Amino acid sequence: MANISLRHVCKTFHNGVVAVRDCTLEAAEGEFLVVAGPEGSGKSTLFQLIAGLETPTEGDIYIGGVVVNQLFPQQRDIAMVLPNHVLYPELTVKENLAFRLKMHRMPEAEVERHVQEVAGLLQIDPLLDRKPGALTSMQQQMVMLARAMVQGHKVLLLDEPFVHLDEKLRAQMGKELRELHKRLGITILYATKDQAEAVALGDRIAVMKEGFIQQAGAPEELYASPANQFVAGFLGNPPMNFLNVKVGADGSDYTFTFGKSAVRMPQGWDGTGVLKSYVGKNVVLGVRPKDVHDDPAFVEKMEKGVVNAEVEVMESVGGESYLYLTCSGHSITAGVDADAMRQSGEQIQIAFDMEKIKLFDSDTEHTIWR
Amino acid sequence: MSNRLFQGVIHQMRDAIDRTIGVIDETSVIIACSELGRIGEVNDSITADVLAAPGTFVVNGYTYKSFGSRPRPEYAVFVSGSDPEASRYASLLAISLSSIKQYYDEKYDRSNFIKNVILDNILPGDIYLKARELRFNSDVSRVCMLIKITNKSDISAYDVIQNLFPDKSKDFIININETDIALVKEIRAGIEPKDLEKLAGSIVDTLSSEFYTHCVVGIGTIVVGIKDLARSFKEAQVALEVGKVFDTERAIVSYDNLGIARLIYQLPTTLCEMFLKEVFKRGSIESLDHETLFTIQRFFENNLNVSETSRKLFVHRNTLVYRLEKIKKITGLDLREFEDAIVFKVALMVKKYLSSNPVKF
Repeated sequence: MANISLRHVCKTFHNGVVAVRDCTLEAAEGEFLVVAGPEGSGKSTLFQLIAGLETPTEGDIYIGGVVVNQLFPQQRDIAMVLPNHVLYPELTVKENLAFRLKMHRMPEAEVERHVQEVAGLLQIDPLLDRKPGALTSMQQQMVMLARAMVQGHKVLLLDEPFVHLDEKLRAQMGKELRELHKRLGITILYATKDQAEAVALGDRIAVMKEGFIQQAGAPEELYASPANQFVAGFLGNPPMNFLNVKVGADGSDYTFTFGKSAVRMPQGWDGTGVLKSYVGKNVVLGVRPKDVHDDPAFVEKMEKGVVNAEVEVMESVGGESYLYLTCSGHSITAGVDADAMRQSGEQIQIAFDMEKIKLFDSDTEHTIWR
Repeated sequence: MSNRLFQGVIHQMRDAIDRTIGVIDETSVIIACSELGRIGEVNDSITADVLAAPGTFVVNGYTYKSFGSRPRPEYAVFVSGSDPEASRYASLLAISLSSIKQYYDEKYDRSNFIKNVILDNILPGDIYLKARELRFNSDVSRVCMLIKITNKSDISAYDVIQNLFPDKSKDFIININETDIALVKEIRAGIEPKDLEKLAGSIVDTLSSEFYTHCVVGIGTIVVGIKDLARSFKEAQVALEVGKVFDTERAIVSYDNLGIARLIYQLPTTLCEMFLKEVFKRGSIESLDHETLFTIQRFFENNLNVSETSRKLFVHRNTLVYRLEKIKKITGLDLREFEDAIVFKVALMVKKYLSSNPVKF
C-alpha cells in the first residue's frame, strides 16, 4: 500500500476542454477516499491521471512519495476497475485472473503464484475453476476486483465499479469492500456520483465539480460545514432547501425575506459580523429538510423562523415522511414525523431551525455562514 | 466437413497409388482411408506430439507426413510402407490435402465472408447465395463496431476482444489494419442504444484498465440481414471520423447520436467555405483570439446565460458583456440573440470541420 498525493494537477484536453483544474488532494496510506461528484465533474479523468492513462498538463502526482508523472501505467503498481469492466465469459476465474499476465508473457510459474496470492487475499479460491456464468453477481464483482489486483495493488482505483448493480447489491458490495479494506489495509480511491454511497464508504470524501475539488473531509464534516452551496446541496437526501433571500437589518436583528415571507435570526446570533456587508443584498439561505418542522410545539418555540406554506404532496419513505411545500413561490421539503397526516392543498405553518441554517453568497456560492 | 473432403481425394488417389493411404487426425483417429473399414479406427501410436515432428516419419510400417494450418499440425497423411517411394507419396499427398483444405477453409470461412461483406469485396448478388451456403441467419439484427487503438501497446487487442466475445458463430472480430478492429455482433431485436454503448464501454474499459491501451469505438446502426453490414461498418467509420473532428475526447461515438455534426460532415467543402465567408463577411473569425473563442464556447455551454457563464469563467458579469460586445463588433453577430448564436455555433463547427481535413467514407 502507498499514499497518493496530487499537487496542483491540471488536465486540459486537445480540444480545449479542461477536465481537472488545480487539483490538490492527499490520500493517506491505507485510507478509503471517495471522490464524489456529478457526471462530467472530472472524477474519471482524475483517476486516469493517477493510473497513468492520461498525463497531467500541469502539476505532480506522487504515489508512495515518488513522482510518477513520467512512469508508465504498468510501473505504478496500481489496480483499476472501471464501470464497464466485464469478465471473459468463456474463461474460468483462474484463466480470467491469469489472462493479463499471460498476455504480458509472464512465466507460467509466476502467473500461478500471482493468481493464487490474489485469490487468497480476496478469498475466492473455491471459485477458481468456475466460469463467470456460474458465479453470483457478488462473486463476479469480487473476481473483477481480483483480476484488477493481480498485477499490482499498492493502490486500488475504483471508478464507479458497481454502477450497473441494483441498489441492494451495491450496498452489499460496499459492505464487502469495506471489510476487504479493513482486512488488507489497502489504499482505496473510489469514484461515485451517489452521495449516499460516498457517505457510507469513505473515511473521507472529496467532492468534485467542473474539475475542481470543492471540499475534502470526513463525511460528517462536509455535511455539517459545507464550503459552498454545491457541497451543501450534494450531500444529504432529500437535498438541502435553497431560498434566494434578501437580507434586511434592524439594528442587530437580521431578516431574510423571500416573496411575502420572512424569517429572522434569533437574538444573540453570532454571525452578525459577516452579514453586515450583505444588508440590502440577496444571499442564498440553505436549510436541510430535517431542520424544517411542522410540529406545533417547535413552531411556537422557533417563532422567528415561522412561515406559512401550502402542502403539495406528502411522501412516506420507510419510517420517514417528507412534506413537499410551496412557500412564497419557493419549493421547500420538510422532514416530518412518519405519523403526521397532511392533505394536499392544506395551509400550514412551518418553522426553520434558525440555529442550523446556512448562508451562501449568491454570486460566488461560497458559504457565508455555517 | 474436412473428413468428407479428405475421403473424396483419397478415394480418387486410391487407384493411382497402389498402396493403403489415409489421413489421421490429432486425436489419433483415422478420418479418411483407401480401406473404408479402417475409418474411425484409433491408432494410439500417433499422438499430437508425434504429429509435431517435421518431415516424414515411419511408425509400425507406415510412413507419415503431418500437415495443417494451425501452429501445430492437425493431421497426418499415411502411406503403407517405409521405402523412399512411400515417403514421396506421403509428401505429395500432404501438399495436395493441405492446399485443398486451405482453399476449403477460405471458401467456407464465415469470418472471411463477413470481412468481404463489410469491406465491399463481394458482389451484392453473391452475398445472398454465400450467406445461404454458410447458413447465416438473415433475420437477426447485427451491429458493426469499429475499434481504433489510439496508443501503442505490446498486447494484441484482437485477442482481448476475441475473448470478450467468444461466440464465433454469432460474433465476428476482424483485423482491418494494425490499429483498427471491426466487431460484427449479433444482437437481440429492439436493443436500446445505451446497451450498445455499454457493450462498447466494456471493450474500452477492459482494454484501458487491464492493458492500459486507449481505444475509441465507433458504433454503426443496427441492421437486419447481411448485405447492410457494409453500411453499418461505414457508419461506424464515419462516427469515429466525425467524433475525431468535433468531439475529440469521447471514447464511444455512435452514428445514431452525431446530431448536427453528421449533417456538416456530409456537406461539400466548397459549400462550407461559402457559408463561412457569408457568416464572417464583416470580420474574420481569425481575428478572434483563443480566449474569446473559449469564452464563446463556455457561453454556449451555459445556454447563453451571462451570469452563469461569468461565474464559470471567474470574470465579472460586465467583463463578459464587454467581450460579447467586442465579438458583435467584429463579426456582426450578437451571441445573446438565439438566431445569431445558432449561426455562430454552426459556423464554428464548419470551421472546425474544414480545418481538420477529415477522411470521407
